[in-house]
Amino acid sequence: MRQIGPWLAVFAWIFGILLALMLIANADFGEAVTGFFNGAFGGRNLAYLFTTLGRATMIVGMALSVMISFRAGLFNIGGEGQLVAGGIVAALVGVYLPGPGWLVLLAGIGAGMMAGALWGLLAGMMYAYVGVPLLIGSLLLNYPARYIASYLVGHPFRDVASGLPQTFQVANEAWIPLFSGTRLDMGILAIIVVAILAIVYSNMTIGGYRARMNGLAPNFARASGLPVTALTLRTLMLSGAIAGLVGALAVYGVHHRFTDGMLVQPLYAWTGIIAVLMVGMVPWAVPLSGLFFAAVQTGAAGMERSADVPKEIALIMQAVIILFVAGRVAGANLADDRESGNGT
Amino acid sequence: MSGITVRFGPLTAVDQVSLRFAPGQIHAVVGENGAGKSTVMNVLFGMISPDAGSIRIDGAEKRWRNPQDAIAARLGMVHQHFMLQDAMSVLENVVLCAEPTRIFGFVDFSAARRRLEEVARLYGIGVAVDRKVADLSVSERQIVEILKVLYRDAEMLILDEPTAVLTPQETENLFKILRNFRESGKSIALITHKLDEVVAIADWVSVMRGGKLVRSCAMAETGKDEIARGIIGGDLPAPLTRGGQAVGATVLKVENLSARGNGRMAGPVSFEVKRGEIVGIAGISGNGQSQIIEALVGLRKPVAGKVSLLGHDVTHADVAGRREAGLSYIPADRQTVGLALDARVYENAVIGREGTSAFSKGPLLDRPAMVGFARQLIERFTIKVAGPAARCSSMSGGNKQKLVVGRELARETPLIIAENPTWGVDIGAIDFIHRELIRMRDLGHAILLVSTELDEILALSDRILVLYEGHIAGEFAAAEADRLTIGALMTSERAA
Amino acid sequence: MGLDMLLDPAFLNSVPRFLTPILLAALGGAICERAGVFNIALEGFILVGAFCAVLGSYFLGSEWWGALAAMAGGVIMGLLFAEFHLRRKGDGIVVSIGLNLFAAGLTVYLLRAIFDVSGAFRDPGIRGFSPIHIPGLSQVPVLGPFLSGQSILFYLAVAAALALQIFFARHRLGLRIRAAGENPAGLVAGGVNPNRVRLWALVMCGALCGLAGAQLSIANVNLFVENMSAGRGWIAVVAVLLTRGHPIAVLLIALLFGFVDSFSFRVQGLGLPQQFSDMMPYLATLIVLLALSAWRKAKVA
Repeated sequence: MRQIGPWLAVFAWIFGILLALMLIANADFGEAVTGFFNGAFGGRNLAYLFTTLGRATMIVGMALSVMISFRAGLFNIGGEGQLVAGGIVAALVGVYLPGPGWLVLLAGIGAGMMAGALWGLLAGMMYAYVGVPLLIGSLLLNYPARYIASYLVGHPFRDVASGLPQTFQVANEAWIPLFSGTRLDMGILAIIVVAILAIVYSNMTIGGYRARMNGLAPNFARASGLPVTALTLRTLMLSGAIAGLVGALAVYGVHHRFTDGMLVQPLYAWTGIIAVLMVGMVPWAVPLSGLFFAAVQTGAAGMERSADVPKEIALIMQAVIILFVAGRVAGANLADDRESGNGT
Repeated sequence: MSGITVRFGPLTAVDQVSLRFAPGQIHAVVGENGAGKSTVMNVLFGMISPDAGSIRIDGAEKRWRNPQDAIAARLGMVHQHFMLQDAMSVLENVVLCAEPTRIFGFVDFSAARRRLEEVARLYGIGVAVDRKVADLSVSERQIVEILKVLYRDAEMLILDEPTAVLTPQETENLFKILRNFRESGKSIALITHKLDEVVAIADWVSVMRGGKLVRSCAMAETGKDEIARGIIGGDLPAPLTRGGQAVGATVLKVENLSARGNGRMAGPVSFEVKRGEIVGIAGISGNGQSQIIEALVGLRKPVAGKVSLLGHDVTHADVAGRREAGLSYIPADRQTVGLALDARVYENAVIGREGTSAFSKGPLLDRPAMVGFARQLIERFTIKVAGPAARCSSMSGGNKQKLVVGRELARETPLIIAENPTWGVDIGAIDFIHRELIRMRDLGHAILLVSTELDEILALSDRILVLYEGHIAGEFAAAEADRLTIGALMTSERAA
Repeated sequence: MGLDMLLDPAFLNSVPRFLTPILLAALGGAICERAGVFNIALEGFILVGAFCAVLGSYFLGSEWWGALAAMAGGVIMGLLFAEFHLRRKGDGIVVSIGLNLFAAGLTVYLLRAIFDVSGAFRDPGIRGFSPIHIPGLSQVPVLGPFLSGQSILFYLAVAAALALQIFFARHRLGLRIRAAGENPAGLVAGGVNPNRVRLWALVMCGALCGLAGAQLSIANVNLFVENMSAGRGWIAVVAVLLTRGHPIAVLLIALLFGFVDSFSFRVQGLGLPQQFSDMMPYLATLIVLLALSAWRKAKVA
């Protein structure tokens, strides 16, 4: 830690803003703090801690998806569309594919990943072949994904009796099992595996090296003969597949069906982006950062329960953190600042 | 100005430099890249605040907060990299930051136009005030920069490497204008590294080396050789020598190649490069060099024509395919094309070869092998850097360039394309890179050298092509090449 | 559903209601674009504007105060952008993402903290702009229903597009904004700090986006809904990208998007599932973006 001063100033700012917000909401500060920690890490039998871990599964997953793209210099902010595409396809497979539970589960996850990958590929092709800026192209694709999914569960595949725009439930046998004695499903294991793979890919493989060179200096990568177009498409498919996996895990592990808005409303994709940016895209830090933001969100829910502070304070806090951090970690440039020591 | 000192972090860029500029005098400040001459001028013009020292004008001490203060004190600067707005007209460029305004901050363009035309008339400069700068040639843009300075009523002009982008004829024109200024009593600071120009025009000369002023005297008291020794701080490097040899088989064959880019069309051009020769392409920047090179390297699809490498048609191959087929490329822009500055030296050293068995095991990188190779390059090319794991951004320009050159030459491909390979590096690195290119030629490699420095082309090439407006305007064997003839071809298509 | 529907007075009358917020926000974005600030936080700027408009109108009792408050809210967002991007050197994209989320969170938070409602806040105390009927003009076919009977903000937006065109060409700040975007080193050499110029650009952008929000919350309707901007800021970003910040082109493209928007609103009544009509503006934006990108690519290659 070279300069502690500026960081302290940042903490002071964030703390001050939080305090001001609570003042506006007329909240009891002490109760809010207790509520926050209880909501994030406490509860009976640590129930809230498991809620936090469940949320972290989603956020870390989306963060890993985003990290793969961002490190390659691809500003893919269409994670939400890829997530929704994966979720809806996984749910439809789960509801309508006959067969033993484990097969349905695997097929559903596979199909979800495929759908996410294709949605990512679509943004990539618009970018690589037509020249649509990826940032905008990937973002605009979020809306069709959202509305198509909404239409599918609102009309042709709706469980009308449930009264909500949602699909039927996936058969029990295809659910991802829970850790015994908790309400946390084992989907988190899949994300842990993905995290390890993503870290290895980023730091140790040829593909990860190429992606990072493209991220640091695209003209350099091109002039040096790296397969830039293929790299772009492959990376976006990889990102999309991870997002699709997250969607499938939400369906099979948590909701057991697809309800309109269930993947959009909690802003998983945006939180994932923030989690990646906060740690300057350093791979090993991304899961920790995702866990942190999951705790912020469940903690805020706890504050709402105990001190009547609107839980949107979590969103504001996330935004404020990223704003203050933005100037300190300048995007891809610092992507590996903390890898292996300097010099030889 | 006296006792000027500027430090950048631990580095002292300028150390206790004192200079005097008199009216009616052209004062040349010479030194190699990195000697601190541009830094001194930026201090004088208020773009950098000195850590020590003072600036006095007519005896009164001045402190600049920014260039605006310097401009108000009637200083003007023509920067090496033009500070113009391409999308704006000449008139808009001239008034920018010194706008005569009417009510509510609207610019009084008619007053500005009157004043500009008056200034231009006074110094005999012809100018089309409504043309867009993007449509102007390099020398015309320089005139616009000079008009900007005159428009602001400058009594002292600072020109930073004004001739770097000009042909010999255009340089002569510029000097005519500068002599006019001298007649009218203006003071002129001319920063340059071209000694012939100093001899031709300067009244007073100051030599800088390593941030220090080593000599400052009237031109009459010194000579070209003495200045040159002062710049280098020792004896001149030995002249370049080359093996006399017959050229071999054709390596690169270009037939009717044309390419389009940045809204301009280049070509069709046809030429060949053979084993054991350096073919130099001379021309002012922006005459189609980048389009043609990009089409050769595979970064740009040609509009028409054919490129063959060692007899194989590579017209439709991509960059990787061409590099595989036997091509290496030293790009002009080492900051964004030649290197990934934020990556480590060893990562930069193996780019394009990361997938080969030398540097990987299956899908995994072999880091020790990468580091070992980088260490070899560092030793072989005497690159000054903390180590293979240091970031490229920590190196000086010359060392960055040596890394690029080293990486590309180490591939030992039959063809090497070098684009302005010594742009903006110090004399030591220039000499080193030139010798390496000649060594490769002597070993039988084919080298295509594209450079906007005519001196570099003349020093290295066996054959010289002159590029003008995307076409080859002339071709010369090295022995029959003549500066003035080539210079004329660089600006017009007559003769040839 | 035929072409005659496009000439239907009710349809024509609805076009400016969709056009105005996109136009105002895109003009704001255009100023930033020309100044070399990559501002994709328009969505957040609009949202804050919409909220502040309701706040001002409700507590100060006049739609004019609402519009003023909306501008103030937008300007504050612009100043925040400047603080984090220009002064603290945060990446424009990262700062934009942060501010968009900030706006989304803050408006909902304040909605609950101040008005103690979630979802939407509607109250007779919120005063809105009423349509201005221009005598004589409203009788003209086609143009009449389009140009007459709109909120003052529509006329203001069109005037702003024309004024901005002149501003860039002839005003000192306009000239400097263009320079800040094209070659800021030229400003530095002339003794002008490009970041000061950009600060002004962000302030102007904030004010225009604030008004865009006001059009949404106190002209089109008289209420505030969570996430009221609903992607319009992104459409405005696309409009800026496509036009490279030229005001008249922005006006034309906003007109196009306005038409599509109100068309999609219109077809909802014709039995098409709502999701498809909701999707139409985004699809149209994507298609225009694809077409123009392909055209540009063909031109450059």
